Amino acid sequence: MTLLAVEDVRRSFGSLVAVDGVSFGIEAGEIVGMIGPNGAGKTTTFNCISSVIDSDAGTVRFDGADVTGVPPYALARRGMVRTFQQTRELETVTVADNMLLAAPEHPGERAWHAVGRTSASAQREAAARERAMELLEVFDIAGMVEEYAGNLSGGQRKLLELARSLMLDPKLLLLDEPFAGVNPSLTNEIVGHIEALNDEGMTLLIIEHELETLTDLVDRLIVLADGEVLATGPPADIMENEEVVDAYLGG
Amino acid sequence: MSDGASRFEEFPVDAVHVGLTLFVLAVLFLYSPLFVQPPGGTFTVLEVVVLFLLYAMILVGLNLQFGHAGLVNFGPVAFFAVGGYTAAMLTANDPFRAVGLGYPWPVGLLAAILVAAALGVLLGISTLRLRDDFLAIVTLAVAEIIHGLLETQSDITGGSLGLNNVPRPIAGTTSAGDGAVLVSTIIVFGALAVLFYGVFRRLSASPYGRVLRAIRADEQVTETLGKRVFRYKLAVFVYGAAVAGLAGALLVFYNGAASAGFFTINVTVIVWIGMLIGGAGSDRGVLGGLAIIMGFQLFTRFLNDQIPFVTQDQFASLRLVLVGLLLMVIIKYRPEGIWGNADELGVDS
Repeated sequence: MTLLAVEDVRRSFGSLVAVDGVSFGIEAGEIVGMIGPNGAGKTTTFNCISSVIDSDAGTVRFDGADVTGVPPYALARRGMVRTFQQTRELETVTVADNMLLAAPEHPGERAWHAVGRTSASAQREAAARERAMELLEVFDIAGMVEEYAGNLSGGQRKLLELARSLMLDPKLLLLDEPFAGVNPSLTNEIVGHIEALNDEGMTLLIIEHELETLTDLVDRLIVLADGEVLATGPPADIMENEEVVDAYLGG
Repeated sequence: MSDGASRFEEFPVDAVHVGLTLFVLAVLFLYSPLFVQPPGGTFTVLEVVVLFLLYAMILVGLNLQFGHAGLVNFGPVAFFAVGGYTAAMLTANDPFRAVGLGYPWPVGLLAAILVAAALGVLLGISTLRLRDDFLAIVTLAVAEIIHGLLETQSDITGGSLGLNNVPRPIAGTTSAGDGAVLVSTIIVFGALAVLFYGVFRRLSASPYGRVLRAIRADEQVTETLGKRVFRYKLAVFVYGAAVAGLAGALLVFYNGAASAGFFTINVTVIVWIGMLIGGAGSDRGVLGGLAIIMGFQLFTRFLNDQIPFVTQDQFASLRLVLVGLLLMVIIKYRPEGIWGNADELGVDS
């Protein structure tokens, strides 16, 4: 089953064509890597898919429905969750609140429940807290739970952002350079988490600038260059594709 | 668990319950033949207390907007004014050269809340998508435009003379003189201020408030985590507007008159300074800050009487200089305010 189908998505910034008719599909259960030299349009493609920016043309289908232009909050609720290239945990909010914030369908986030202090809200809060603690344990940052996220190290922030996105129980997780600026041992740790998530059935699309980490991890690579899909296929094939090698070495 | 979790714990005394109880007692008190006659020299202080309670209502809304959600609303007085004039124009009997429809005061009160909220919706929908600094400019401009209209549209608002013959429901319950009216007013307004503090406190201390603080930290991330950011911003903008509108109506029903002089930019300045001194985002701290700044103004007013050779006008300017200095000291040496949380506000102190 095709979980995500991107068709002919285009986006320009003034005269700069960042994404020039990108089309690809992702099957449920896959781990797909999206690579390409700087300025190839990877992040812009991501932003268009996740509606963080509007695309000029093209359609995005997710989980059987046309979600082109559906606002980001609605995509998150449908199960398409993304992270950002620069870790963007909420620094002025504690680790616990970062996690709890992401809990979906929380009645306490509606004014009436908040003022009325309903039991529905309290129950959801307790359940969300339990789930948050589980995830923080898995990601080994449970000890930081009451710390403000701004006080975490770079690596811990990466882990928090990943853990937080899992609070939403995503069907498709879009990771924008999860290994950027991460030391090798933490890279291995994150790779382990990603593989575990995939084993549980989660579909992942990962942007990465460097090839090495991805080739072992992903089922398939999509190569972007100059805003277009240059090639797509298993890592082994891609590595031998001359066009790709040229794009990287030439770019 | 400490910090974050304690936010969600119950206080030993809940302000909503206290406010409701106080309000019932206040109403019973009004309808009883009892009254309290304050000592003669305290009228000036009590009048400042009345204003403090009204400004506190504006401030709990503003603190939810700025302290929690990060919305820079530089025009809270606009909603205060619109509420006040709506109430006055609907209820005044034969005001001199102005609109006075003579409806009973509850109609005016309700309309004040609705019209202020409607202005909040209108302004919110058109400006909340703007960046912070633009929102600040637009709200400031709207407040000034409204103040200008109040002064110049004299056939409707009474212009600089204002609107008289507005009903005074609290004054009507006692014939024991101005002092007793002041005390009754303080009891009723105090109960309402505690009640609104309690309601807004519940909003801020719940998962609702957590979403607001996330919006302040990073709107886009909050949106991608499944929250309808714009709707939250609009809601807190309108809640604050509605409460400010109510406070405006209470002011004109207390005074029995509306005048543009009650609704100047000074109101905005005082509640903002109170919030920054107390610590934006600290629900109780901001009220402490408001008490400090209004107490300071009151104190200096008394001081003026003791200092010869300084006219009142000169002293008023001096006072503004001192308030400005106080604000500068706070921002330089304690940017999170006295009771604020530096980590939550993202400032270094």
